[in-house]
Amino acid sequence: MNVVLAAAVLLWFAFAAPGAEAPDALTIARKCDAALKGRTERGKAAMTVQTPEWHRTLEMTFWYDYPDKTFIRITGPAKDAGTGTLRLGSNMWTWLPSVERVIKIPPSLMLQAWMGSDFTNDDLVKESSLPTDYTHRVAGETNEDGDLCYRLIATPKPSAAVVWGKLVLLIRKADFLPRREEFYDDHGTLEKTLYFDQIRKAGSRTYPMRWHMVSHVKAGHETTLTFTTLEFDKPVAAEIFTRQNLERRF
Amino acid sequence: MLFWQMAWRNVWRYRRRSLLTVLTISLGLAFNILMRGIGDGFHEQMVDNSVRAGIGHIEIHRAGYQRDPALLKTLPDLPLLERVAPATPHLIGCSFRVLGDGLASTAENSSGVRIIGIVPETERTVTTINRAVIAGQFLDEQMSRPVLIGERLAQSLGAGLHDKIVLVVQAADGSMGAQLFRVAGIFRSGSPDLDRGVVYLLRKDAQSLFSLGDGVTEAALLLDSSESVAAAQRYLASRLAGAPVEILPWYVVEPFLRQFIQLDDAFFYIIVLILFFVISVGILNTVMMSVFERVREFGVMMALGAKPRQVVRLVIQESGALALLGVALGATLGSAATILIAYTGLDLSHYAAGASALGITTTVIRPELTSQNVIVSCLSVMLVVLLVALYPAIKAARLRPVEAIRHI
Amino acid sequence: MPQIELIHVSKTYRDHVSVRALSEVSLTLEKADFAASVGPSGSGKTTLLNLVGAIDTPDSGIIRIAGLEITATPASRLAEFRLRHIGFVFQSFNLFPVLSVIENLAFVPALQGMPKAEREARAERLLAEVGMGALRDKRPDELSGGQQQRVAVLRAILPEPDLVLADEPTANLDSENAALLLDMMGRLNRERGVTFLFSTHDPAVMSRARRLIRLRDGRIISDEVREP
Repeated sequence: MNVVLAAAVLLWFAFAAPGAEAPDALTIARKCDAALKGRTERGKAAMTVQTPEWHRTLEMTFWYDYPDKTFIRITGPAKDAGTGTLRLGSNMWTWLPSVERVIKIPPSLMLQAWMGSDFTNDDLVKESSLPTDYTHRVAGETNEDGDLCYRLIATPKPSAAVVWGKLVLLIRKADFLPRREEFYDDHGTLEKTLYFDQIRKAGSRTYPMRWHMVSHVKAGHETTLTFTTLEFDKPVAAEIFTRQNLERRF
Repeated sequence: MLFWQMAWRNVWRYRRRSLLTVLTISLGLAFNILMRGIGDGFHEQMVDNSVRAGIGHIEIHRAGYQRDPALLKTLPDLPLLERVAPATPHLIGCSFRVLGDGLASTAENSSGVRIIGIVPETERTVTTINRAVIAGQFLDEQMSRPVLIGERLAQSLGAGLHDKIVLVVQAADGSMGAQLFRVAGIFRSGSPDLDRGVVYLLRKDAQSLFSLGDGVTEAALLLDSSESVAAAQRYLASRLAGAPVEILPWYVVEPFLRQFIQLDDAFFYIIVLILFFVISVGILNTVMMSVFERVREFGVMMALGAKPRQVVRLVIQESGALALLGVALGATLGSAATILIAYTGLDLSHYAAGASALGITTTVIRPELTSQNVIVSCLSVMLVVLLVALYPAIKAARLRPVEAIRHI
Repeated sequence: MPQIELIHVSKTYRDHVSVRALSEVSLTLEKADFAASVGPSGSGKTTLLNLVGAIDTPDSGIIRIAGLEITATPASRLAEFRLRHIGFVFQSFNLFPVLSVIENLAFVPALQGMPKAEREARAERLLAEVGMGALRDKRPDELSGGQQQRVAVLRAILPEPDLVLADEPTANLDSENAALLLDMMGRLNRERGVTFLFSTHDPAVMSRARRLIRLRDGRIISDEVREP
């Protein structure tokens, strides 16, 4: 009788104990993606670009309506104020206040740096999606700065239009927020690393308010994106994502 | 002396056969010389075209620019360079330019472009781009923010003469530079790369666009011929010693060109090898026949006391005489043909489409005749003939007089 | 000292079948001998000439020419030996077609290293001596068969060899030319003391020989001294 009870208790623990089952890699990827993106986003940020020769800080306001609408307006410094970037689907335009012209960014230049930073046009547009364009596997766990993280290896699917050979993400076990993202090229060379920190409350979410990109290819090149305000899932007017809005004198 | 006499007379003993052999050798050699001349002329043309399209015979940059170009790597010690460069031996012209990359944009389209900031007056002495203008005119310092664009770029941007184009660049201080330029001229260079991807600005406008101040990216020098490159390089290296510059000849700037020429030469050598092989077979046949027909004679000779090596000498001298005649005739024919075609020019306009893909813009080739070319060809032919004759010569020497005398 | 000495000389040709060309032949000839070796084909007379003339080497035995043991001479030096000591007259095709009569005559002295002026002077004298001076600059194809053979003999004796070997010299000549040839050779033998050894089956030659050596199956079956 005691044996049967003991067995039953053991079985219960085996199946019902919370946390006994680790989530699979795809789930981790989905949750991370969802943690970083809302249906819509709007806010203000400051971006500092550092190179061995110069450094600059840009201030901007941005609106995102996932999956395919983006609008960014540079608000400072004065030389760059008024510059805007609009993305609808796979098309991208930039408004240049100094010449009062809109220029279209051709697909061939999607890998060019955006505003001289370590983020590319492609990064900004965020066309590729972690869950859908990659296959994933978990390769252990690590401690990143006190956070217990899954180590997720994402390999692009053959059909995906992705420039990277491999991504390695360190994702917090507690809330699936990323702490680090490593970008590898087709030959397995680490090209750049994105660090996420200053994780705190932003509206209804907990969010990394500072993104810090370090280039391993260009020595001494770093870009830091700091969010000053950030709101999720608030309605964003459709007219924001239009050419007229882009060309409006700011 | 006696053997030379015999050798020479033996050549004329088999008159028709000898004539045929001499003809074979001479035609082979003439062909060799002519083809080599055309090849050399062709290559010189290619180099010349590339050089005059923009790279010049020598380029000078800040050290490290070639390997890792960057806007901020401008020429150091500009006053020194502006003194030294124009005094280079064999110099025809020298141009100081600004180089950068950016986006050219119209309402219709945008395209990544190479931006070259030039001083029109000096640029004329170095490149032929001013002669490639098919609409409008070449840049002029009097114009306000002019840009010169290639035909294909004009087409893809939908830009015509006097239209405005935006050039957007990342300036030297990291900020975005954007300015409007007016299309002053459209050029057709024949090179797809230039016509599609390069725009020319006034140097001062480029410096302003890129926030470069007085900075200049490169100095390009045009010399009187590619043979003068070594001498010019030596002069520049000595006068600029200590300055952090790199002095690059055209074949380092555009290694593809030289590699292509070397590949082409390699193909040529293969063809020549095949040609020599064919000639050798013919000569071998001839010499073997003439030895075979004289087996008895060699037997008598050796019975009388001639040593085997004297027989070898005789046969080799006969072949040598044939070779000399063939070489003399061949060198004359080949040289004459080369000079004639150099005078009239070889028109390859049928193959213009393929040629322009390789960056060749003029399609009339003038072969070159160099003494080195002729001498090397003649010596090679002589060597081949003598080597080939060695086999039958040794066979003749190995004859045993007893058997040879009995030979019918 | 005998001019030619053969001691137990044998030679076998290994072709498709082994042929014993000469079998233990011993022979002695004196200077100024005018000798003929005779016999049917395959008797060994040509082989005898080849061995004496050092253009072939025996399998066994000793051969001495003017005291020099040629069987002990290395093969590489035989050409030199022939050059200095032996003269040859072959059945036909003796002369070099590209050389004139006088150049043909001067061929061996040229090989010996004699300067051109001297050797051509000697050749001219010899031609004059036999009354053939007019043929001096003619090419062999301009001469009759008989004339060619006579020039060949002159060529053989010009360098004053120890002996002249003639392999069937009259085989291709008519009786008149054969006689002329034999006359010349006889005269040279008498006046200059040149040793002659023929191989022949021409009765005309045999009748002029003062020594007749008969061979059969590689052996000497008779050796007689006679008055021609």
